[in-house]
Amino acid sequence: MNAFAPGLPTPQVTSQEKALGRATYAGDLKIAGMLHAKLLRSPHAHARILNVDVSRAIALPGVRAVFTGDDVPQRAWGVKHKQQHVLAREVVRFVGEEIAAVVAIDEDTAEEALDLIRVEYEPLPALIDPSQALEPNAVKVHPGGNLADEIGIVRGDVDSAFAEADIVHEETYTTHSQYPGYMEPMATLATTDGSGKLTVWTATQSVFLARQRLAEALDRPVSTVRVVQPTVGGGFGGKIIEERSSVIAGFLAAATDRPVRLCLSRIDDMLSGAFSVPMKIRLKMGMTRDGRITAKDVSIRADCGAYAGLAPEVMLVTAMRSDNMQRLEHTRSHAQLVYTHTMPRGAFRGFGGTQMAFALNSHLTAMADLAGIDPIELHRQNAIRTGDLSIHGWKIGSCGLPECLNQIEGAIGWTEKRSRPKQRGVLRRGIGMAAAMHVSGNRTMGNWDGSTIVLKVNEDGRVVVLTSEADVGQGSNTMLSQICAHELGVPLSHVSVQTPDTDFTPYCLGSIASRVTINAGKAMIKAAREARETILAAAAEKLGCDAIDLTIEDGVVQSTSNANHFAKLPDICRYHIFRHGGEGIHIKATHDPDTVMMDGDHYGNIAPAYSFAAQAVEVEVDTETGQVRLIESWLSDDCGKAINPLAVHGQSNGAAVQAIGWTLCEELQFEEGRLMNGNLADYTMPTADSVPEMHSSIVESMDPNGPLGAKGASETAILPGAPAIANAVFDAIGVRITDLPITPEKILAAIAAQKEKRDA
Amino acid sequence: MRDFHYLEPRTVSEATAMLADHGEEACVFAGGTALILALRQRMMAPGVLVSLGQLEEMRAIRFDPKEGLLIGAMARHNDIARSKIVRQHYPVVAEMAGGLANPQVRNQATIGGNLCYADPSTDPPACLLALGAELTIKGQHGARRIPMDEFNVDYFTVAMEPGEILTQIRLPPPDQEVTTFYRRHLRTPAEHRPVANLALAVRNRGGAFEDVRLIVGAATPAPQLLDGVQDYLSGRSVTAEVAAEAADRAAEEMFPISDGRGDEGFRRQVVRALTRRLVAEAANLDWKETE
Amino acid sequence: MMAKNRISLEINGEAVEADVRPNRLLSDFLRDDLALTGTKRGCETGVCGACSVLVDGDVVKSCLSLAIQMNGCSLTTVEGLACDGAPSPLQKSFMECGGLQCGYCTPGFLMAASDLLARTSRPDVATIRKNLSGNLCRCTGYQGIVDAILDASEKMHGT
Repeated sequence: MNAFAPGLPTPQVTSQEKALGRATYAGDLKIAGMLHAKLLRSPHAHARILNVDVSRAIALPGVRAVFTGDDVPQRAWGVKHKQQHVLAREVVRFVGEEIAAVVAIDEDTAEEALDLIRVEYEPLPALIDPSQALEPNAVKVHPGGNLADEIGIVRGDVDSAFAEADIVHEETYTTHSQYPGYMEPMATLATTDGSGKLTVWTATQSVFLARQRLAEALDRPVSTVRVVQPTVGGGFGGKIIEERSSVIAGFLAAATDRPVRLCLSRIDDMLSGAFSVPMKIRLKMGMTRDGRITAKDVSIRADCGAYAGLAPEVMLVTAMRSDNMQRLEHTRSHAQLVYTHTMPRGAFRGFGGTQMAFALNSHLTAMADLAGIDPIELHRQNAIRTGDLSIHGWKIGSCGLPECLNQIEGAIGWTEKRSRPKQRGVLRRGIGMAAAMHVSGNRTMGNWDGSTIVLKVNEDGRVVVLTSEADVGQGSNTMLSQICAHELGVPLSHVSVQTPDTDFTPYCLGSIASRVTINAGKAMIKAAREARETILAAAAEKLGCDAIDLTIEDGVVQSTSNANHFAKLPDICRYHIFRHGGEGIHIKATHDPDTVMMDGDHYGNIAPAYSFAAQAVEVEVDTETGQVRLIESWLSDDCGKAINPLAVHGQSNGAAVQAIGWTLCEELQFEEGRLMNGNLADYTMPTADSVPEMHSSIVESMDPNGPLGAKGASETAILPGAPAIANAVFDAIGVRITDLPITPEKILAAIAAQKEKRDA
Repeated sequence: MRDFHYLEPRTVSEATAMLADHGEEACVFAGGTALILALRQRMMAPGVLVSLGQLEEMRAIRFDPKEGLLIGAMARHNDIARSKIVRQHYPVVAEMAGGLANPQVRNQATIGGNLCYADPSTDPPACLLALGAELTIKGQHGARRIPMDEFNVDYFTVAMEPGEILTQIRLPPPDQEVTTFYRRHLRTPAEHRPVANLALAVRNRGGAFEDVRLIVGAATPAPQLLDGVQDYLSGRSVTAEVAAEAADRAAEEMFPISDGRGDEGFRRQVVRALTRRLVAEAANLDWKETE
Repeated sequence: MMAKNRISLEINGEAVEADVRPNRLLSDFLRDDLALTGTKRGCETGVCGACSVLVDGDVVKSCLSLAIQMNGCSLTTVEGLACDGAPSPLQKSFMECGGLQCGYCTPGFLMAASDLLARTSRPDVATIRKNLSGNLCRCTGYQGIVDAILDASEKMHGT
């Protein structure tokens, strides 16, 4: 039983059905009488819809219904900005916005019907370039103007701190959008059942946030919607509450009163969600000669596309999170989020952290060079430490950043590689590093970041765990099972975690903000311990001994003082039911962390713990073709305590490769707001043969607020990749790329400019 | 995907007869990897697909000392990559075929389908051109042979008439004194299709290049024979400087395409790099040392 | 609507006869007609490899194949890899070595790995990576998958 105790590498509890091909995803589900849907999209970035003629589409045999913006609820949905409808009404605001939906007997028929819909548009001038958004005469995306959000944070006396700095460095960085690229395109099956209830099986990271949004978008009471999470094929932030297809599918089922399945093709998936938020970041920092950071001034312009979604929250992270990684006293941040007539942008693994990690780490390596200090040393010197209160009021209960830095430094052979002579050949190698932090949990949505576990011990002594925290592949069900089995004293195989279902499993926020391990893990410990006490009390009664003497191991209740006093768990569980006044063992436990919501000045300890990571990479730059190839990657993640090291390594490796993709090979190409490479042949995500062996190591800083010391893993690991690569490219060829992605063309242009400068 | 009829002739003449019967409605179906994509995206909507899948005679790969290597047009890329005959006599072809696209596509797509589709972003044409390939094309009224030089006309266009089928690719017997080099370049390591490739066949006689054939592919609408560079290199003893000069001339002489994978300037630069490397390699020079 | 054509083939060791329209994709035929939903659709453009199956032992993309092409062929899908319902050694290695997370790409990788291991009993890392280039995974960074295939090759073929 101890083979899979917390701390030991444990295969996912869902791994067998996945390996057998039997795990059921939303697109695998069928209901008798099920219809299929396809979506019609706007070809215009900005236009008025004058008329939609669906008569020919409806007349096509096999078509059951066609809906347009005139048919959907007038109530708008959104996170804070309520501005979207199930289908666009009157105006379209980006190329790809859904304007009509066809429901038919099969996908081919629905697809054919799309060609028969005639839409008359009045094209309007479009705002594509975010730098033009706040110009006085700019075209307005929404009646209230193009400023979606603005943040200003000032701490300390920044101007004086700059005046006292020995070294001041200023640079502008730009980051581009990334597509989450989960392998399962969004799929939803929705149905009504004659009772007034709408049931929706959808690929989601949060059933309750999904239900809330469906209720709002469909303008119906929350309790008339039931959301169930099937197996989900990855999310990476893209399956929270910005993708639009699950809302449309829910509407179509309700409107037709029939089961409707909407499985997106890859291009539809790329057009139906939100890419990550592109930003332009101006960063100015001051430092003393010996490497102490004295002042930091950040200015951000972010583009959320046509609708705000989660982008304001994302931008807030960019504006201030990385400040907490270092011991800073004087910081200033000003960030503006603007609308454009382009695709919506929003949540993505790292949630705004990647953008700033790129700027900050590029900057710090440049400043380290200016001061003649090793960048790892610079990070180490300024790193926040366990017990610190950060500049924004974050209580750092554990910080393994220095250890992360030590690990990567040793692993890659940093000192030796840094001291080697600069290469002069066609292929040049270089090394670079970066460090980052992330939250574990975040008290932003209402004044609650809790998690509830309902635990049922069956009459055979096996356990069913009810939770609505979503395992989307990261392995949270395994983590919960390990904790439960360990605390209760049963084999791992005797624990099963039920699928999230808003009508049956308790209210939870789901897989966002790296919150599940720390919050649900704590709730799990609480529930399992309470169940244990319940079992021991019943056993004590049955065996006629003192509960304090009893333990449970491998499914057997045993007295520690009398070897003859023991009972098998099933006997106790049956005893708990089958007696006068008995009942099954049903435990409910909630853990809500001791955190606060940020105040109006964005101050306050929002998370129970904070995770850290550092990464060092070696690259080889082909100076003739501009190609950059990763040679080595070493990533160290401080996740507090790795409850399942197999899962933590998996998360770190996956995040590192996703970061490589963002930095070197993934580039969404737009022309006038139209996505030009909406397929996986032209939007190239890393393949197995394009990356080297990924090395991952773990630092266990044992957070006092974490379950068994654990914090969140996975999001932190995506943060340092891009700047580590950019720094390594600089080390290799002496040119710094400040705008992502690092394309062959940019490398070649930078080398050419460098040569011109040298020859001049 | 629209509906269509699917016909499976048992002989080549049956196939050409079917194509003649159905005229413009018909389309030849080989491995299907490119065609199915085109059908799904509704770029094409033929009423009839004439599948060559049952024509076993068109799968064979054999070697004849006089004729050379005979590759049936329905041989899949992996059939070529794994063929002992090909690996023995034309290792550069086996290597090219074994690196093309990805394992699944190599098990599905055929060399004939690849050549007839004439998508520029692919590997075989330039390589086969460098080796002096000759193609056998059959129509309802008989067979003809044309040199590979005349086959690729333009972007997605080849020198075939409607109703014709490419049945065989012949590579002349290898000349032991001629060495062929081939290299593909991917824009990034994660790419699936080449942004440029280059094939160089050369007789290295006492340090001097003779009978030079230099072909650039994937970066041009159709594989392009770089006559000017060939002339420049012919009879020349190749030094690093000569390789660099040849590279500059190649970049100048080519007619690049420009798309999402790379604009003209980028493609010229990649071809410059590939040329310098291949020419240096052919002369046993180390291209990595200096810029 | 076009007439259907009768095809006979073998899938996972069982004889199958079916009437298919010529334009039926193999991936749709497996998933929608035969309920073999382990084969996944991920891109429909032949890039992601989630739909990979073995045809006469060769790994192919079923989204780039027509069902009608399979007449007379022998197919293996992910459902055919198990031994009496239990995971095969290769499947076990994927489970134990972190070769899967969300699981969506897993069937495709298993088929590509099956093809590789049938040809090369002890592939090196470079060979493994090259032979996975037709499959995409967004969760694992490929490390767990490479580790799993190495582990399986060791267990299946010894050191």
